[in-house]
Amino acid sequence: MIALLIFLAVIVVLILIVGGFVAGIYNKLVTMRNRYKNAYAQIDVQLKRRYDLIPNLVETAKGYMAHERGTLEAVTAARNIAYAASKAAAANPGDSSAVKGLATAEAGLGGALSRLMMVSEQYPDLKANQNMMQLTEELTSTENKISFARQAYNDSVMTYNTDREVFPSNLIAGMFNFGAAELFVVDKPEEKVAPKVSFS
Amino acid sequence: MDFFARQDQARKKTKLLVFYFVVAVILIIALNYAVGLVILTGAQSSQRQRDRYEPAPPLALWDPQIFLGASVITLAIVFIGSAFKISQLNGGGSVVAESMGGRPVSSNTTNQDERKLLNVVEEMSIASGVPMPKVYVLDNEEGINAFAAGHTTGDAAVGVTRSCITKLSRDELQGVIGHEFSHILNGDMRLNIQLMGVLFGILCLATVGRILLYMRSGSSRDKNPLPLIGIALLIIGSVGVFFGRLIQAAISRQREFLADASSVQFTRNPAGLSGALQKIGGYGSKMDSPNAPDAGHMFFGNAISNSFLDAWPRIRRSKTASVPLTQLGTGSSNA
Repeated sequence: MIALLIFLAVIVVLILIVGGFVAGIYNKLVTMRNRYKNAYAQIDVQLKRRYDLIPNLVETAKGYMAHERGTLEAVTAARNIAYAASKAAAANPGDSSAVKGLATAEAGLGGALSRLMMVSEQYPDLKANQNMMQLTEELTSTENKISFARQAYNDSVMTYNTDREVFPSNLIAGMFNFGAAELFVVDKPEEKVAPKVSFS
Repeated sequence: MDFFARQDQARKKTKLLVFYFVVAVILIIALNYAVGLVILTGAQSSQRQRDRYEPAPPLALWDPQIFLGASVITLAIVFIGSAFKISQLNGGGSVVAESMGGRPVSSNTTNQDERKLLNVVEEMSIASGVPMPKVYVLDNEEGINAFAAGHTTGDAAVGVTRSCITKLSRDELQGVIGHEFSHILNGDMRLNIQLMGVLFGILCLATVGRILLYMRSGSSRDKNPLPLIGIALLIIGSVGVFFGRLIQAAISRQREFLADASSVQFTRNPAGLSGALQKIGGYGSKMDSPNAPDAGHMFFGNAISNSFLDAWPRIRRSKTASVPLTQLGTGSSNA
């Protein structure tokens, strides 16, 4: 009788230990998954910031670059296209064509911005303008923040995927349907050309 | 070795060193027990001898009473000392920053340099996933240096000297700030405060020893064990503090390597950090504030001239940043 009780007690303790172990791994996977989802949302925050900065930039530059209306208008147009595309992608996150549309629009905006910056180099008055200096610092910072947000997203995806794939977590990930996360990859050649923003 | 591998290596070494630290404290308890055993049994047996003229009994190696007494008293002294010191150092990031003469940078500053600094800090905040800390500038310091303070990511503060903003390029400033963010993210300040607390507790043992040394009981005929215990505690405590400081310096060194590797992870730009280290080599990083030595371990560059316990072996750190020294144009070929 006592032997049976002891046996049962040992079984219960074993179940509790294994259960606790599984719960720990499950919780870790949940935490990592939420982290990478949050990191993805942060990228959008920075992209929106860029949309908000650009009209200011164009306004300031307009006064000094009267002859460059074409370039300025190109930037404004590209910004509006990208803004609309981002709204569309936010409305349909599952729609891959909306997301692709956003990527193309972003690439176009990056190109137009870099052309504007290159042209503005030829206007020393503009360069020296206090407002312009502040704006270019903010723009540089925003471009950096977009990159860092994407980088942070990729880092968190890597951590999550690793945690998901190592043994024995992979068993639990399979049991509870923790899908693989996708890295942010630049697969359009235009996007690979970084907007060259150089202020010497 | 890429920066992730370097981070793993630094973390493993830290765990090992903390283990050594714990072993050191246990050894101290064991030594105190041994000392207590020898001296107290010796005193008791000599007392007995005098009273009854019995031959001395063999020394029993295990005396639970003395063991309990020795460990409880040692742990009590160390624990109370640590708690006191830790509560002293526990001020929170802003308190530390202000005690060193830091001026907070407001988030809607119009000064361009400060704006740049805030942007750089915000960028690192995004890259590391740490919430934005309070930013301070040390206007009165000449050298190039930076520090991070605070217990949790919630009360963290980051400070830089004026020269950081004026003499470092944006990339170099970012490398330094990334390094400081690693300290915040990896809980280095908390670890350091706990180590300093326990070291202070061990130092208390030595102090208690010195006090006991001067206690003489009334009659000089009784073999008074107190001064003997006092000497032993003084020696054990002082040796303990010496080795404890060595271990603490080694831990700080590993945390610095970890911070450098993390900075490269955040910026993906080793040249920035290397450049900053180079410039510190040229301009110097000494801090004038009188509170600097207390916080010496928190600084990016050597804040005080204490080269034996050097937690920032600079040339080795340039190697960690993975940029060959020849590329940086230094004269030195030996690392």
